[in-house]
Amino acid sequence: MAEFALTTKNLNLYYGRFQALKDVQFSVAEKKITSIIGPSGCGKSTLLRVFNRMNDLVEGVKITGEVNFENRNIYAPDTDLLKLRKKIGMVFQRPNPFPISIFENIVFGLKIHHLYRESKEFLYKFAEESLKSVLLWEDLKDKLNHLATNLSLEQQQKLCIARLLVVKPEVLLMDEPCSALDPISTAKIEELMQELKKNYTIVIVTHNMQQAGRVSDETGYMLLGELIEFGATQTLFTAPRDKRTEDYITGRLG
Amino acid sequence: MLKIGRFKETLVEGIIKTSGIASIFVVTLIFFFLLKEGVFLFKTVHLHDFLLGRSWYPISDPPEFGILPLIYGTLLVTAGAAVLAVPLGIGAAIYIAEVAPPKLKEILKSGIELLAAIPSVVLGFIGIVTIVPWARQFFHIPTGLTAFSGSVILAFMAMPTIVSIAEDSLHSVPKSYKEGAYALGATRWQTIYRVVIPACSSGMLAAVMLGIGRVVGETMAVMMVTGNSASLARGIFSPARTLTATIAAEMGETVQGSDHYFALFSIGIVLFLITFAINMTADFMIHRKRK
Repeated sequence: MAEFALTTKNLNLYYGRFQALKDVQFSVAEKKITSIIGPSGCGKSTLLRVFNRMNDLVEGVKITGEVNFENRNIYAPDTDLLKLRKKIGMVFQRPNPFPISIFENIVFGLKIHHLYRESKEFLYKFAEESLKSVLLWEDLKDKLNHLATNLSLEQQQKLCIARLLVVKPEVLLMDEPCSALDPISTAKIEELMQELKKNYTIVIVTHNMQQAGRVSDETGYMLLGELIEFGATQTLFTAPRDKRTEDYITGRLG
Repeated sequence: MLKIGRFKETLVEGIIKTSGIASIFVVTLIFFFLLKEGVFLFKTVHLHDFLLGRSWYPISDPPEFGILPLIYGTLLVTAGAAVLAVPLGIGAAIYIAEVAPPKLKEILKSGIELLAAIPSVVLGFIGIVTIVPWARQFFHIPTGLTAFSGSVILAFMAMPTIVSIAEDSLHSVPKSYKEGAYALGATRWQTIYRVVIPACSSGMLAAVMLGIGRVVGETMAVMMVTGNSASLARGIFSPARTLTATIAAEMGETVQGSDHYFALFSIGIVLFLITFAINMTADFMIHRKRK
């Protein structure tokens, strides 16, 4: 059995009185792509945001159960939130580069974690490598001082991934990373994900079943806060064990 | 039925158009009135002597109409007020928009609005009985009626403008920027000064400019606490007189149609140009933000 990067145990999450996650047992294999699919409001984004504790920003959230990362429960009171988020990075549904230059976007992570040495050359070299790793260098090498928010959406999303890789995370959480993009850009991001898989563990939430089928190794299907079925992507799509999964993937629901 | 509808439409459109044009019309009218009255001064006084003259003795014989001390007084008091109000105002806005818990936020916001509602004469009065004697004792100066006292009072008057506009612009920063920063492991402070503030810097600048515009135009409170000495102030702790205070103090005593009377209108033109320039800058910054 593969090593697990993240596992949850009896995970429940409440927004006030509403229970958004119900007793979820989920595990994410290392250096694989795990996708979470399900209809709108099923809790898939909520589950993703459990892993880097982004839900902490929402008022009235209560969580019970365990989420283990590197043999520790990340919801233990002594967790260093900043370190956790550095190790578990996130790509959002709408590309959200900061309204500063492309260069400053890339080195943002270095600056906030005090990882850089004070030389411009070092930072520049770094920016080059990061942009190359997301296949943006050729397009942007002459525009490093341009405002990042003026790029195309695909470029913005890639830049957001580059910005994330800079802090050397171990896990990448992707919350519908292609839903704001056209099919060609989507294909390019998916291609990039396959490239990134070699070095990173990826969890992707997607609305798009075809995408889950194309990119992921393992898939979980969620409905109304429950993890209905979880297993190898191919098995889940060709021979689902649960009737509800079958309804969803054959298009009878959602 | 259709005809009545169309008539109503035209009527409403006409009314709106008239009120829109009226506001511009009034401003133009005011400017031309100022210009018409003020320009007579320059039959007898050279523009150079007016703007750069160091003595303002409007009722001596012969009179002198140099407004440099007044311009300097205005700049001194304004700069002092800006030094006090800008950091405080921006700081307060950041605290209210980004840090304060919701309940405290509401209390602070209404407190700031209350500050804006205090009439300037009341602030001037409070200044005379509190800041002026305090400044005299604390800095060991002969009188507390100084440019500094004016700056302190004006800072209080600029604060509400700066805080509310800066807070609005901080509030308009998309949540996704903050999420992006937090998700990278940034602290709250790093998020604020590396992402949120750069994202609304033009709005912040506009807040500062409009606050300063408010200060430049303020009359009553300044007149009460700055000592109104029309000589070149030797520093922030000596008495000074502003352009506005000069007009307010002297307009009642001057003979209509005299050079002194025209000189006060010329001061009005200078003041108009200064505030106009400040508002234009603020406007430019707000529009640049939208681009």
